[in-house]
Amino acid sequence: MKSHFDGVDPILCPRDPKTGEPLPPRSQPGYYPGFSTLSQGAFWDTATRAVVDKRVKHPPEPKFFAAEAWTFWTTVFAHLIPQTDRIPERQIPIVATLDHRLANDQTAGYRYETMPPDRVVYEIGIEAIDREAQHRYRGKFLVLPYLEQDLVLKAIHDGKPEAAQEIWKHMSVHRFWQMIMGDAIDAYYAHPWAWDEIGFGGPAYPRAYTRLERGEPEPWEVEEQRYVWLAPANSASAEVDSSPSHHAESGQHSLPVRSSKGARR
Amino acid sequence: MANELSLTPPVLDMKMVANYVREGRFQRSLALLTAATSVISGLEVAYEHYRGSYSRRVMYTPVILSGLLAIAGVAAFFSRRAARTVLRLVSVVTLIDALAGFYFHVRGIHRKPGGWRLPMTNMIMGPPIFAPLLFGTSAYLGLIASYLQREESSGMPSTSGRDIWFARLLPPSAGRELLSAEQDMREGRFQRQVAIVTGISALLSGFEAYYSHYKNNFRYAMQWSPVVIAPVLAGVAFSSIKSRRLATTALPAVSAIAGADAAIGFYYHVRGVLRRPGGRKRLLYNVMYGPPIFAPLLFGAAGMLGVLASLLRRRRV
Amino acid sequence: MKKPLLGEFETPSSNKYRVGPLQSIHMPMRRFREYEDVDYVIVGVGSAGGVLLQRLARAGFNVVGLEAGPFWDTEHDWVSDEAGSHELYWTEPRVTGGTDPLALGANNCGKGVGGGSVHWAAFTPRLHPSDFEIYTRDSVGADWPITYDEIRPYYEQLELEMPVSGPAYYPWGHPHGYAYGPHPMGGVGNALIKGCSALNIPVSIGGPVAILSGSHGDRPHCIYRGFCIQGCKVGAKASTLVTHVPDAIRTGAEIRDRSMVSRIELGKDGRVTGVHYFDNEGHSHFQRAKAVIVSGYAIETPRLLLNSACPGHEKGLGNSSGTIGRYLMAQAGNVVLGRFEQPVRMYKAPPAHALTEEFYETNPKNDFARGFAIQTVGPLPVAFGKQVLAAKKAWGWGLRREMMDYNHWAAFGLLGEILPWKDNAVTLSEDKDCFGLPIAHVTFNLHENDKKLIKAAREKTEEVMQAAGATEVVQEARYAHLVGACRMGSDPRTSVVDKFGRSHDIPNLFVCDGSLFPTQGSANPGLTIQALAARTADYLVSQGERIFTSNERDMTTTPIRRELAPPETWGKGVPRLK
Ligand SMILES: Cc1cc2nc3c(=O)[nH]c(=O)nc-3n(C[C@H](O)[C@H](O)[C@H](O)COP(=O)(O)OP(=O)(O)OC[C@H]3O[C@@H](n4cnc5c(N)ncnc54)[C@H](O)[C@@H]3O)c2cc1C
Ligand code: SF4
Repeated sequence: MKSHFDGVDPILCPRDPKTGEPLPPRSQPGYYPGFSTLSQGAFWDTATRAVVDKRVKHPPEPKFFAAEAWTFWTTVFAHLIPQTDRIPERQIPIVATLDHRLANDQTAGYRYETMPPDRVVYEIGIEAIDREAQHRYRGKFLVLPYLEQDLVLKAIHDGKPEAAQEIWKHMSVHRFWQMIMGDAIDAYYAHPWAWDEIGFGGPAYPRAYTRLERGEPEPWEVEEQRYVWLAPANSASAEVDSSPSHHAESGQHSLPVRSSKGARR
Repeated sequence: MANELSLTPPVLDMKMVANYVREGRFQRSLALLTAATSVISGLEVAYEHYRGSYSRRVMYTPVILSGLLAIAGVAAFFSRRAARTVLRLVSVVTLIDALAGFYFHVRGIHRKPGGWRLPMTNMIMGPPIFAPLLFGTSAYLGLIASYLQREESSGMPSTSGRDIWFARLLPPSAGRELLSAEQDMREGRFQRQVAIVTGISALLSGFEAYYSHYKNNFRYAMQWSPVVIAPVLAGVAFSSIKSRRLATTALPAVSAIAGADAAIGFYYHVRGVLRRPGGRKRLLYNVMYGPPIFAPLLFGAAGMLGVLASLLRRRRV
Repeated sequence: MKKPLLGEFETPSSNKYRVGPLQSIHMPMRRFREYEDVDYVIVGVGSAGGVLLQRLARAGFNVVGLEAGPFWDTEHDWVSDEAGSHELYWTEPRVTGGTDPLALGANNCGKGVGGGSVHWAAFTPRLHPSDFEIYTRDSVGADWPITYDEIRPYYEQLELEMPVSGPAYYPWGHPHGYAYGPHPMGGVGNALIKGCSALNIPVSIGGPVAILSGSHGDRPHCIYRGFCIQGCKVGAKASTLVTHVPDAIRTGAEIRDRSMVSRIELGKDGRVTGVHYFDNEGHSHFQRAKAVIVSGYAIETPRLLLNSACPGHEKGLGNSSGTIGRYLMAQAGNVVLGRFEQPVRMYKAPPAHALTEEFYETNPKNDFARGFAIQTVGPLPVAFGKQVLAAKKAWGWGLRREMMDYNHWAAFGLLGEILPWKDNAVTLSEDKDCFGLPIAHVTFNLHENDKKLIKAAREKTEEVMQAAGATEVVQEARYAHLVGACRMGSDPRTSVVDKFGRSHDIPNLFVCDGSLFPTQGSANPGLTIQALAARTADYLVSQGERIFTSNERDMTTTPIRRELAPPETWGKGVPRLK
């Protein structure tokens, strides 16, 4: 059994709700077993195939982050988008993509006035997170156990960091969270392995989609086969807020005071 | 009720009809049938081409022609002259239009991204490849009708109204052959020809059914029925060319099954349209993008041709 | 099938300039010299710029379009991929702020020939007649200097040129029918129809969208691949790159791509003489011109005018009114997400394929003026991930789990009218871009009416989603479609340009793009932008040389010149009841 967890700590793996036992990592988590967008590459146009191929086969080399910063953000992203349900060879590189973006100073095309430039965000972000870790658990972020790391990040997610106020004075907590989560999502869900996981059909030119209605799969897509799973016991990120629209227009301004109803359920 | 009004018992009615057909004396009925099928295929092509946004002016031609053909069919019902002139002419033009349409549909699929290298996708998403040929069915009926005798005519079939001018254009032997074929038709001796058309029509509409139902992933088992019946009908129809026995036994039987299947298909398609989001409230839209309601009837048309073939006589040798 | 017949697809390597699988652009194009005094320089070849360029070239003017971004070869440059389409957007630095800061970048404007029309979703409803006089009707916002009737022929014309697919009868505003037939529905459209039908709300199915529902010459019809916002490689979705630029090049226009205009030069006589621009290598150039038209989008247009301040125009070029950059508008674009038990697969079909404008007009029963529309949207995974992040505060395992349900969600976007307010503005920031030019600072604040309207719109949209059968409904606040900021008007004290887009201060300087809008309604702006461009072009053509020589201002409206349309416009489309 042990070998199933090869390289991944079972405690960090999602669990079977019936037995409570950790589920061994898969090469492809999600409800679409056997579905592979990459296998459809021959049906894509040359330009798209090149871009996607490169993403899979040649993730960018480190350029921007120094070694410690690289390790630091790697650890953070392992919380923002944990991948312990994936075998190590099938984990999707996130920091590499971010590093590439920062190295080329690519931005979303704007900066909130409550935020420093992106490169600075990732510099002082380390300090802000470390200070929160120190404040809560008397240790730098990297040395804390997984759950405590999760809780440090959750404090920022909740918009309620207690330390490093002088940093947060110049950097909106909410926007900071939005940026690091945004970068994580940008990297993870742009990857064909993530498409396979969520059942997204991927590129579709020149070949069209033909079955537009009722969520029917194309002949080369796969029907959903759901299974149940629980987040690892020692994680704090499983809860979401499903209450309809009690948020103010907060997505867009000020430091929102979030009632995390969902989290208390 | 019709039976009560009718003076002869239905069996005799049937016999009489069969006799008319046998002798090629059904011009008026067939002309009317031409008109009816033409109206239906006109409607079908009108909204199918509306889906294609009439992005070329040529897409109006089948709509206009099916209107003309319907009118010509009605005219032929009333006038023998019209049957031999207008109906024949409009039928021929419509058949040519059907061929042109087939060309444009093949080309349309070719011009879709991926073209013929993605045959399934682009047949499903592009112009329906065989629809123009199936659209030609009513024109074919019209053409036959134009050569038949009228129901009330008796005695020896007349020889007037032959395409003599056309025969003259051909080499002498071909010209003679044409005239003799015409004469046979007039006498209801063209079973083989109709059997061939039946077979082709069954294959084409079966194929149309196959890929349109494939698009739908054959959600209902019933969707397989035309796909299964069509080749059987085609097989029987083609065998009927050789075997007179089959032509009078299996052919009508399978044809009747195809007809029944078409009726069932029609019902399901109508139901499918009504069950779409918005149902009756968005009726026009749902007719346009729901299951094509008249398509099963085109399959039925193949069945109808089969029945017709079974009632006809074979050519003199 | 494992592979297409004959093996995997390869883009043919030809030296043709391809815009779509079949269409190509006639190269080489005409080139003008910098010292040549061309008739018109157009800054920005986007939605408006593309139409203008085509019209002016066809009318025989010497015209150069300077475009900051690339001249796309769609077969080589574009991809069916979210992350790979980053370059379509304006990602030069900008600062955004205010109480309700707008997300910019991918959320608003394009860079490259075609501009925003390259990555728009291509919803193309018209404004309603009421939109042109909301001040008169409701005492809010401002009136336009033109009426609906003046722009109407241009709506009809551009709907043919794009062309627009939609129902044969569109009931809202001034009722009309569309040139091309409606599109089939995807899962999201069906949800909207179901929800609306259940609540007895009329809904427009399969359009109006500037996406082909039938082929159009060398443009094949839509293949329902859902990557509209990433640029339509098929060429089914209208962008000026495929609708107007080919004809512009054919008739002798020049497009100088990767040319960033930095300043408009003013001569001693108070007329502009040309523009300074940087080429791709960063070298500075000056192109002489008899007249200049700025079509750079509601942010870059005011930025350029502000950056062109000079003696006599210290507040910015042509800014005697002080309104350049002011009255910037965005529409509320909250996304309402609904989860369904049955899969939806919302990535199929174009994001834009059904809408309702039933709540568009001012309703005396409401506590706010004006209204909103509800439309389909179809976010792809990355966009959806960010929506789930915002709408459900999801992260970590929660996010992973929600995302595994991607195929169960449908998304509606509301489109709510936000009124023009003076404090919503584009100003210059202290920060500089790579050319050393001050960048734009965008300030955006919601006001009372806006907030009430958004709340009502959100609730209605959620109600529709629920009626469609969603078991869970959440929403995210957003904004879409920036317009205004160089508004047109009859009063030179409160507007930047007159009703033809001509600067009140400088007779041979024009503005022509979304920044002209005095108000915005709750219709997507693209069609109106292009219609206004065609109208401005007609005016310029009718004025002829007078624009270049005279300071007089002729305000007579001329009849529409349909003969200036690209020739492939004609001979297509469904029969219409006018
Ligand atoms: C995701 C998304 C979806 C949308 N969907 C819709 C929709 O469905 N319907 C709709 O109507 N609208 C939609 N829009 C909005 C629409 O795209 C824009 O309103 C419209 O394109 C604006 O047109 P424009 O002419 O004002 O500017 P643009 O089309 O943006 O053109 C401006 C051009 O000028 C160039 N430029 C700017 N400054 C300079 C300079 N200094 N020098 C040289 N070149 C310069 C830019 O590179 C750009 O190419 C959408 C927008 C987005 C972002
Ligand atoms: S969905 Fe249609 S319009 Fe949109 S990108 Fe695909 S082919 Fe183009």
